[in-house]
Amino acid sequence: MWGMAMAEKRKGSGGSKTMREQTGSAPAPRSGSPSYRQESLESFYEGFKAAGIDFAVFLPDSMLDGVEQLILERGEIAAYQCSREDEGIAMAMGAFLVGKRSVTLMEGSGIGMSALILARGIVQKTPTMLIIGHNSTLGERYDYHGATRLVAEPVLRALSIPYHVLYDPAHIRNVVIEAQATIEGQRLPFGILVPSHVIREIGASR
Amino acid sequence: MNRTDVLRYVASLRNGDPMIISPGLANYAIAEAKDEPLTIYNMDMPYATPMALGMALGWPERRVIAIEGDGSLLAGPGVLSTVARYQPKNLVIFVFDNGAYLTTGSGKAPTATAFGTDIEQLGRAAGLLNTRTVHNLDAAKDVISVAFTEQGPWLIVAKVDKQDRPAERGPHSLPVYVFEAGLIFHRTALRERAAKK
Repeated sequence: MWGMAMAEKRKGSGGSKTMREQTGSAPAPRSGSPSYRQESLESFYEGFKAAGIDFAVFLPDSMLDGVEQLILERGEIAAYQCSREDEGIAMAMGAFLVGKRSVTLMEGSGIGMSALILARGIVQKTPTMLIIGHNSTLGERYDYHGATRLVAEPVLRALSIPYHVLYDPAHIRNVVIEAQATIEGQRLPFGILVPSHVIREIGASR
Repeated sequence: MNRTDVLRYVASLRNGDPMIISPGLANYAIAEAKDEPLTIYNMDMPYATPMALGMALGWPERRVIAIEGDGSLLAGPGVLSTVARYQPKNLVIFVFDNGAYLTTGSGKAPTATAFGTDIEQLGRAAGLLNTRTVHNLDAAKDVISVAFTEQGPWLIVAKVDKQDRPAERGPHSLPVYVFEAGLIFHRTALRERAAKK
């Protein structure tokens, strides 16, 4: 609701157009399922397929649920739900070791749970791709995401894990493909952080 | 029951199966019995079973073995629910339960199993069906033989004593560094999978 209110306020202020106005997309629902940018979901999926990703692990979160549901719906990438994010990263690393190209999807808070297994992956040269909902700056509307917002990037920096914060949804596919190239070439985990505007309609219920 | 005797029996039946071993003295027993390239030694706890689960799901044609202690399994028991959710037929989880954090310091600090926590029942509650707790070597050999021939997933809890600790302490070393283990494992798995095509 706060997001809706802010979007309406901006619209009425005579300032620059909101992204919703620019894209001409439908108004966000006030309740129920969140409104995802379908083209962003498809771009992630296309990137995964182009990068050869064939094994996905996730802990459900509101930001990336659309991507996760799309993976499950299409049924081409083996997908598994874990009980904790660090467990999921370990599963994805195990899959990598037996020849899979793996991705782990989670909210940023999950990276805070996962410093040790990520460090192990670096030392043992056993990587995976990390798709991370939320980021430290853009679009973080709610106080209850304060710790989530705060923890992911510092952990990645502390472990010297390369990462990229998406800004333009048009870049999603290529970022995923190039991230996988870095993962395989450097044998390092790679984080792709997903701010809300990349995956959700601006002002949509979160 | 002595843990090393059980581990030697597991190693004798293993036939090169992928294996991940949690931290502790079990690593040396396996390495001394027979080192295999598809082995990850001294996995940080509690990640032996989660990583083995990913292997089992990603390579369903091969049996995958996780070697846990009671302390390491209790550090991340939620994974049992994930194993139960996906029921990988090729996963065997061994938990060597001596009721103590035996590798640490004096080895006297007890785990929760010393106060009644039952790891097999955790597995049953999570939804695992093929579970056993064994208290002597003959029973352990019987269930290991079954687990290596019948579909899983298996959770086998071996109640072992603490007597192997003094014998296992000393200037042991493992055959591979953690730095190279991932590369050796990955190359071996890729080579084996390519050969099967």
